[in-house]
Amino acid sequence: MAKERSHKAQIVIDRLGKKLNRQIVGSLVACVHCGNCTDACHYVLANPGDPTYAPAYKADKIRSIFKRHYDWTGRIFPWWVHAKSLHTDEDLEELKDIVFGKCTNCRRCTINCPMGVDLATFNRMARGLLVSVGVMPEGVAVVSKDQWEIGNQMGVLKEDYVDTLEWLTEEMQMEYPKSPGIPIDTVGADVVYSINPREVKYDPRTISDAAMIFNEAGENWTMPAEDWDMTNFGLFSGDDDLGGGVARRLYEKVVELKGKKLVISECGHGYRSTRCEGPNWAQHDVSFPMESSVITMINYIKEGKIKVDKSKNTEKMTFHDSCNNARSCGLTEEPRELLNLVCENFQEMYPNRTENYCCTGGGGAMSMSEYTPQRLISAKVKADQLKATGASVVVTSCHNCVDGLADLIKHYKLDMKVTQLVNLVANALVIDKPIEVPTEEVSIPAAVTPVVAEAACLQGYKILVADDEPDFVTFVSTVLEDNGAEIIKAYDGNQALELARKEKPDLMTLDITMPGKSGIEVFEILRSDDELADIPVCIMTGKPELRKLIYDRAVKPPEGYVDKPIDEESIILNIRRILELAKSKGK
Amino acid sequence: MAASVKVKNCNLRLQKGDITDLDIEAFVYYAREDLALGSGFGTAIAVRGGPTIQKELNEFGIIKMTEAVVSAAGEMKAKYIIHANGPKFQEEDLPEKLKQTILNSLAKAEEKGIKAIAFPPMGAGFYGVPLDQSAEITLNTIKEYLSGETNLDDVVVCLNDNREYILFDKKFSSLK
Repeated sequence: MAKERSHKAQIVIDRLGKKLNRQIVGSLVACVHCGNCTDACHYVLANPGDPTYAPAYKADKIRSIFKRHYDWTGRIFPWWVHAKSLHTDEDLEELKDIVFGKCTNCRRCTINCPMGVDLATFNRMARGLLVSVGVMPEGVAVVSKDQWEIGNQMGVLKEDYVDTLEWLTEEMQMEYPKSPGIPIDTVGADVVYSINPREVKYDPRTISDAAMIFNEAGENWTMPAEDWDMTNFGLFSGDDDLGGGVARRLYEKVVELKGKKLVISECGHGYRSTRCEGPNWAQHDVSFPMESSVITMINYIKEGKIKVDKSKNTEKMTFHDSCNNARSCGLTEEPRELLNLVCENFQEMYPNRTENYCCTGGGGAMSMSEYTPQRLISAKVKADQLKATGASVVVTSCHNCVDGLADLIKHYKLDMKVTQLVNLVANALVIDKPIEVPTEEVSIPAAVTPVVAEAACLQGYKILVADDEPDFVTFVSTVLEDNGAEIIKAYDGNQALELARKEKPDLMTLDITMPGKSGIEVFEILRSDDELADIPVCIMTGKPELRKLIYDRAVKPPEGYVDKPIDEESIILNIRRILELAKSKGK
Repeated sequence: MAASVKVKNCNLRLQKGDITDLDIEAFVYYAREDLALGSGFGTAIAVRGGPTIQKELNEFGIIKMTEAVVSAAGEMKAKYIIHANGPKFQEEDLPEKLKQTILNSLAKAEEKGIKAIAFPPMGAGFYGVPLDQSAEITLNTIKEYLSGETNLDDVVVCLNDNREYILFDKKFSSLK
């Protein structure tokens, strides 16, 4: 008697038939189980005793369903060709843990397959089938819904985005009064610049660095006030409708602004989805050129529009290739060319370019906190690779990779930091123009940094610093006090809550692993308490698994998230951004 | 020009924009059964409206499929939010459930004395109801309802982008 099948399982099987095309069927039938893919996969290399991580094994899980329902061999002789159907919702959950939890879709197995089997393509297809029936990790659901409804992956509201850009403009104009800052919604600009929401939410420095480069080059550029997200979670989740919808919003915005070119900030999956996949998903003819900001920056240097001094970046640096940039878009030489123009000491890592290993956080994997432990185990391959370079800085051209690398560097206690090309180019900029001083004739020495120039920029703010490491509390408190803030200190979760209730601070920095109540508990209690819910919170942590607060949330996400170790400039920049946004909302 | 049609004494119209930022008396949020606001428009409601909304929702507990409840909208431009638990991800009897969810939302609005209400493209987007199916059911159900006795005088279907707007507009034209 035929086994009963759940409603969802039936839909997945029916939809599989509609997803089959020559590329996918070719990959599904071509595998000869030669094993070449096995050594190519970082999951296998980090888990040598576990065959369930082998790409061919994972592919067979999807292949068996195809064979059972769409290949004559499996329909007639299922036992002979290992054809197997899906029956229950538990079968779907099991498939979910494979296609989301055991593969980052990095495509390293694909380029090492002599038969041309593209596991990443049909793994993505399988993800899409599961998403269509609501079977997905919670983090994937959160991010997808944000992008569907708010228009960007991190749920950044329009007012917060615009306020941040305006605030960054004010910051720039304090240093350079005649700086155009960040032009918003300028019609007819030569360059429309699109970014990753991570930049506006947690890394605004990359936006101001890019703005400095555009302005120094004399570029006629702009950023859209809406539909600005160049990332596309459809690439990760397999949801082609989301992919098409998101890409189309950005393309239409460029046309609406009469922009001549779309420049995409450094992000592997953003570049691939916007530049390469988006037009197909959206079924949309794109009438303007699109390029990575890496290319834009190289051209500025080559054309003499900006001058750079590589002696400003002296540390030993290595370069990590984003999987989407390198393996899917061929962007391998340009980042190296740019890096060599702006740094003195570049050390290649091995293997590199299309053979480089995944950072393990790629494309959206960071959003799935339930898989963080196994992700970090698989990251050992990357950690060993980084360590072997002897570099103190790893440069990458991708925001997801920044987070993925930062997590594994902390987990494996490597003495390295991560940065992007835009930061290095901005740091190496040679600015000939004299710094203009304010009209009040206040003399500001040229060498003074913005942080020092505004020594009392936090005057009047009360900030609660909560962390169980006394040295860290002292460091952060000193930095904030030096800038005028009044500081309250807490060394465990209970004390943090008690002081938050008593003192009603203007902002709270929060560590996660503290005695008593953990930072997560403290955060959720704060957010659920009417009187405390509006206190802006900046998470300062060295625990990567706590990104769940950003991606996997039941409450309003934190206003800031900064990885330890933290430098003085980063503390001030993030704290000021959060306070400025809160002030603009009247909180 | 935005599409608009008069159904008896009520305006039914399409608008492009962010439903959670609309200057209207009430809007419908496509909710989960546990009424947790979650992400997407839920984030916008939590951030713009403040924590009192989720607190009010927690009092309701779990609601059944197709049911709707009304909460205040905190500090948002709207006064009320109608949280409607509609069908999700291709579940069984989707068209009938979707229609009933819309009717229950309208009934809740009437019960509260609301005159102006905005709907999103019900179930489309993240929850996977195909856009043309959502347009068909959302527009037809609202029009059918407005053809009867009602105190509503303004019903808006608020679409996020051109992709949604163009398709809804096409269906809307056939309503006239």
